[in-house]
Amino acid sequence: MSADAAPAPVGGTEPLFELPPELEIETDVARRVIGEFIRGQLRQAGFERAVVALSGGIDSGLVAYLVAEAIGPERLLCLLMPYRTSSPASRADAEEVVRRLGCASEVIEITPMVDGFFGTDDVPGAGGPDASHASALRRGNFAARMRMAVLYDRSVTWSGLAVGTGNKTESLIGYTTLFGDSACAFNPIGDLYKSQIRQLAVAVGVPEAILRKAPSADLWPGQTDEAEAGISYPVLDRLLYWRVDKRRSPDELAAMGFDPALVERVDRMVAGSEFKRQVPPVAKLGPRTAGLDYLYPRRRPGSARA
Amino acid sequence: MQTLRVALVQLAPRLGDLEVNLARHHELLEEARGAGADLVVFPELGLTGYQLQDLAGDVAMRLDEPRLARLAGETRGLSAVVSFVEESADHRLFIAAALLEDGEVRHVHRKVHLPTYGLFDERRFFAAGDVLRTVPSRLGMGVGLAVCEDFFHLSVPHILALDGAHLLINVSSSPGRDLAATHEVGLGTATSWWTLIRTYAQLTTCFVVFCNRVGIDESIAFWGGSEVVAPTGETLLRAPLYDEGVFTVDISPEDVRRERIAVPLLRDERPELQLRELERIVAERAGLGHDTTAEPGAEPGLDVAPESPPHEPIGFRAAGR
Repeated sequence: MSADAAPAPVGGTEPLFELPPELEIETDVARRVIGEFIRGQLRQAGFERAVVALSGGIDSGLVAYLVAEAIGPERLLCLLMPYRTSSPASRADAEEVVRRLGCASEVIEITPMVDGFFGTDDVPGAGGPDASHASALRRGNFAARMRMAVLYDRSVTWSGLAVGTGNKTESLIGYTTLFGDSACAFNPIGDLYKSQIRQLAVAVGVPEAILRKAPSADLWPGQTDEAEAGISYPVLDRLLYWRVDKRRSPDELAAMGFDPALVERVDRMVAGSEFKRQVPPVAKLGPRTAGLDYLYPRRRPGSARA
Repeated sequence: MQTLRVALVQLAPRLGDLEVNLARHHELLEEARGAGADLVVFPELGLTGYQLQDLAGDVAMRLDEPRLARLAGETRGLSAVVSFVEESADHRLFIAAALLEDGEVRHVHRKVHLPTYGLFDERRFFAAGDVLRTVPSRLGMGVGLAVCEDFFHLSVPHILALDGAHLLINVSSSPGRDLAATHEVGLGTATSWWTLIRTYAQLTTCFVVFCNRVGIDESIAFWGGSEVVAPTGETLLRAPLYDEGVFTVDISPEDVRRERIAVPLLRDERPELQLRELERIVAERAGLGHDTTAEPGAEPGLDVAPESPPHEPIGFRAAGR
């Protein structure tokens, strides 16, 4: 794991990525905080090991590196869970992370689970005859939830907590599958924008092939985040940073040079996905209700696994 | 030249586990004594952890609590500042810092300013203290205690200094946030606190001790970075970020006298002028006084009027306007 903090080109002259100056972080500080966070979450829960769903992308790659750095690679299990249409390059990139870290890994194909529900051209699935016409979105969400189910099963067999790999950008715009890729015991990178994820990934030494490729949910061949959202990450990250973290109004953002139509669209994405970032509401009936007037830390004396 | 050895304990308390934290305080107090400390400072809620929520009542201690007396009993021959949830006789819960000396609880400060904004929710769970007092100490110095947010209000160090402090002690559980490369050490919170500590030391011509915890409660990482700053504003000790440990430095109490003669800011304070102006401002903000410098239509407590003044409901009109 190298400590090269700058997003400098590694070999070539092409910069690895664009880092908006206001989003630049001190990666040493971030690694220190995240390391303490990972160790603290595990200790408070009574666990010594962790399991990460490794897609071959930058977010889960970074999390694997950070977990290995925090608790040692021997306590980390990486799960590779390809579907039959998943990009072979993603699998190769995930395998490279496992090889470099020297951690345990397991490949679990989710194809039979997904196809078992939606069916194939020849065999109807458990989801009924209509399921074979399901949209890419339905299939993508289902696949994400199958991966979640496997992740939590392996959390038991590995005796490790499931570590989240979602970033702040996708969480804020709601580019996540509820109870799918966003499901986790704790998330060490959920307050970092994609641009900051890239900066930190360089610092911890995530393989360059992963740093260079276009971010993709890989729910269907050729899909990329930026094409699907119609915004580049540096612009989206800056917009979200000023709007959310720095509380700037749409008028102020327009004065800064952001396209007002884009600001409005992103505002709608953020407001429309509020439900994905919160615990579902419980109808208030009794004297004390979790989340309302029953307020305890998640981990307190007695809550660690014995 | 007499010097005093100050030990700052950057502790990572176990959230909600009073027994474990008490045992840790006993150990670390002995460690600091072994290092020759005259004053040992533990962080805010070091005995309980910070993010307590509904656990606050479970870990609260009365001042006659035997476990507190036992901890105080370990302070023969030295001074210590410890912090915990204090329950008053009428069952209010306070965030308290206690000065323990020579086996006794010498003084208790109840946190006066409870942040309830952003990531903080203290007013929901705690009562606010009503008293600011500087007290004499076996160190031969006047000691003014404050807890974390108390130092985000100018009046606290100011009043404690006017009340006779030579040494201001702030104990904190400051959550580290605002990671950005533009900040001094990449952490906005650190820049903000160190700026305040240095400014207060210079303006009050006191030694200022800042003891901040480390470790994790839930989502929050506490950043440490504890400091001792001289009355000149010189930083005598800056503890590392995020590391648990006991950090010591020697201070010369004589520096207070030297600085106050060289730069007599405290001599030149005008508390009677402040009192007069504050009385006026309090009355005006309550709508009970006429502000002679306010534009017509300005709301109570403001001098500048809006371009089109809002209709004032009954009860909002300042007297004499």
